[in-house]
Amino acid sequence: MKLQLEKFGKTLISRELGREAFKAFQSTLRDFPKNEELEMDFSGVLTLSPSWADEFLTPLLSQLNNRLVLLKSDNLSVGATIKILQEANKETFRVK
Amino acid sequence: MEEKLLTIGQAAEYLGVSLNTLRRWDENGKLVAIKKGGGTHRYYRENDLEIFASDLMKFASEWIQDGIEFPGTFYCPTSSIFNARLTKMQDILIRKPGFEELYSLIVLITGEIGDNSFAHNLGKWPDTAGIFFGYDLEKRIIVLADRGLGVLATLRQARPKLSNHVEAVKVAFTEFVSGRAPEKRGNGLKLVREVVADRPIDLFFTSGDAEVRMKGQDKVFRVTRGQRVVRGCLAKIEF
Repeated sequence: MKLQLEKFGKTLISRELGREAFKAFQSTLRDFPKNEELEMDFSGVLTLSPSWADEFLTPLLSQLNNRLVLLKSDNLSVGATIKILQEANKETFRVK
Repeated sequence: MEEKLLTIGQAAEYLGVSLNTLRRWDENGKLVAIKKGGGTHRYYRENDLEIFASDLMKFASEWIQDGIEFPGTFYCPTSSIFNARLTKMQDILIRKPGFEELYSLIVLITGEIGDNSFAHNLGKWPDTAGIFFGYDLEKRIIVLADRGLGVLATLRQARPKLSNHVEAVKVAFTEFVSGRAPEKRGNGLKLVREVVADRPIDLFFTSGDAEVRMKGQDKVFRVTRGQRVVRGCLAKIEF
């Protein structure tokens, strides 16, 4: 399954909003087959901040482990945010 | 050439402050009004108002040090309002020649610093809630400020042994500090430091009497002790 992160907005900032997005996504996740991969597509996202991402991607990584795959993005804020999250959580994301 | 003069009511609307504030500023010399023909009515040149409204650092520092009122356009009482204004800034910056890629890093660091103010002071604002958020993309400057708890008081909740502002600010920008669960680790300021170090962006940040200055070609991250003490935080981003 592919998730267009843009569906949560083009400017993904603030911990509060990240938390809301994660909660909203839980219902989709409940119907998600146990063996399938979840691909995260960042196209269309203008700015991704570490606060938002820490509330959304970090718990998703805990839930899905290596079933979570991040699709490569040219966006500078996406690259920087993923990098700092990996450093903070001491865990790498799978990137395609 | 007849220069257009605004009435005090129009000037108040232009700046987003009250009539009384304008009268006070006229009396204390902060923004002197024109009194035509020796009368008592106050008038203002639009050009003067524009120049007055453009000194962002002055407004922000006078607010956090002495509580002096600033134009309403710069006030974000809630994080939602800050997000909306930040998105607006992003829309303008993304179209600026040369910033087609860098815009996202500038919005990221502005967003992180602003969001920190709201996240760390939620329910604990000592007096005025919300932040100062002003920018001038022609002058390439962004200023953020809050009258919150400041870095030392905030981090002491997780690290009680922190003894001074310089130490606290250094930790804030270099370490991933965990509070008790479920509070998350702070990571925003670490990224702000990294982005500023790698990019043509300058940062000035102060909280308490600690100051961070990352400027110019060979910028290094350094925290020094300044002369003034501010309770909240103030940040200036230039690019």
